[in-house]
Amino acid sequence: MSKKIGDVILDLQNISLRFGGVKALIDISFDVREHEIRAIIGPNGAGKSSMLNVINGVYHPQEGKILFRGEERKRMHPHMAAAQGISRTFQNIALFKGMSVLDNIMTGRNLKMKSNLLLQAIWWGPARNEELEHRAKVEEIIDFLEIQHIRKTPVGRLPYGLQKRVDLGRALAMEPQILLLDEPMAGMNVEEKQDMCRFILDVNDQFGTTIVLIEHDMSVVMDLSDRVVVLDYGQKIGDGDPDEVRSSPEVIKAYLGVGH
Amino acid sequence: MAFFLETLIGGLMAGMLYSLVALGFVLIYKASGVFNFAQGAMVLFAALAMARFSEWTNAALGGDSLILANVIAFVGAGVVMFIVAWLIERLALRNLVNQEGATLLMATLGIAYVLEGVGQTLFGSEIYKIDVGMPKDPVMMLENVFEGGILINKEDFYAALIAAVLVALLWVFFQKTSTGRALRAVADDHQAALSVGIPLNRIWVIVWCVAGVAALVAGIIWGSKLGVQFSLATVALRALPVVILGGLTSVPGAILGGLIIGVGEKLSEVYIGPYVGGGIEIWFAYMLALIFLLFRPQGLFGEKIIDRV
Repeated sequence: MSKKIGDVILDLQNISLRFGGVKALIDISFDVREHEIRAIIGPNGAGKSSMLNVINGVYHPQEGKILFRGEERKRMHPHMAAAQGISRTFQNIALFKGMSVLDNIMTGRNLKMKSNLLLQAIWWGPARNEELEHRAKVEEIIDFLEIQHIRKTPVGRLPYGLQKRVDLGRALAMEPQILLLDEPMAGMNVEEKQDMCRFILDVNDQFGTTIVLIEHDMSVVMDLSDRVVVLDYGQKIGDGDPDEVRSSPEVIKAYLGVGH
Repeated sequence: MAFFLETLIGGLMAGMLYSLVALGFVLIYKASGVFNFAQGAMVLFAALAMARFSEWTNAALGGDSLILANVIAFVGAGVVMFIVAWLIERLALRNLVNQEGATLLMATLGIAYVLEGVGQTLFGSEIYKIDVGMPKDPVMMLENVFEGGILINKEDFYAALIAAVLVALLWVFFQKTSTGRALRAVADDHQAALSVGIPLNRIWVIVWCVAGVAALVAGIIWGSKLGVQFSLATVALRALPVVILGGLTSVPGAILGGLIIGVGEKLSEVYIGPYVGGGIEIWFAYMLALIFLLFRPQGLFGEKIIDRV
């Protein structure tokens, strides 16, 4: 690995999450290092999405600690996670369907807009410059994701693969420190998968963004990620680089299936 | 010709008043994807607050300055509407994040009843008047163009003017500011809005506040015309066809819808009414809305309903 992987940026310690009597996550600990691509895999219902939602602040674990940049995180809401530099995409695309691609990605810049509402309204002075600046950044992302041709199209009209790309674009517009991707390749054809892989690697490479991703497609996971966590029935059964995980007997039994 | 123009202008101004109420529906729909059944109750609540506050401050000031009393009352009623918005968010909406639209709709129905009851408990259930010093006398215009000129109701004219200004401000707010963009985002998808750092709770307070102010303005204008009483809550029913016509998501649509219905009502009453025995004014708007629902359900300017299957 030639990549410069940094210190631990996100440290999850002994996380347990229950919904009534259902134990979604049981005593799970792992960490995420700066600039790495960290995958979370596991069979359906293993608790992958729950894990992501814990990091994102949608769910609050009953037990365990989350350290972000060495500081223990208090109970928080998703919009606070966003303010701290954690952005995400969704398994079932959650875009603003009535708005154009451009506007959708622009919402990712909302947190960064500081200027006065009144000045924005009259499109004047600092507010105008700020808006233009953000527009420039958004155009950069649009170029990066190769979606120039659909900038003005309402998102609801786009095919699935492109919607997924816009979802990624919106998350990128926040210039996140950690990017959470919930099955970025679900439901895509081979070509779209290749494109998405390329984008994920490029994001990681060019912007140095730390990425945590959930994915079903094993070949994709093994190619992309630096380290992999394996969950099964809410428990961690494996953790390490792809080769290690692939050869672990427990993982093979639970996930890959015996005789794979 | 003069008579036709007079009817037309009367219709336009009446239409502007419908638009004012319709605007409240559109605001909340745009920002939370909910049809707000409580809009009529909010108009009543705001008008009651305004009427009583101006009565009380006027008495406290010894009846010297009607304008000052009204300004204080307006600010006071504005604060009341802010508190109402905050309470609605705190007690109802906060617990309904990510729920189905129908759930939220039922919640607004409940809010309507609570507002109607609490409003009358706090402010009384008599008929009150709002007197903001609007000139009531009609004026003649264009006397040298037409014989006899055109008769225009000054009160309606100012009301229409105020409505127009309010609409222009709201349009700019929604289309040009980042808060406006955040509002539209929240309407589309709660979860996604949260993920990009839009604080849902604050946005909801903002939008219910803005809708509260729109209700206040509508309440003052309608209240000074009709008197403040329980039936003011049903003014919202008259705005219903307006939003269907204009589209639930469009501020300019609410205006144009209001104008079309105002003009349509008046003209049809005057020109078709005599042949069918009159009374067209009462059902005209609903008939028009029905036709629109059949052929263009998203309204004139509403977002086209697109669903990929």
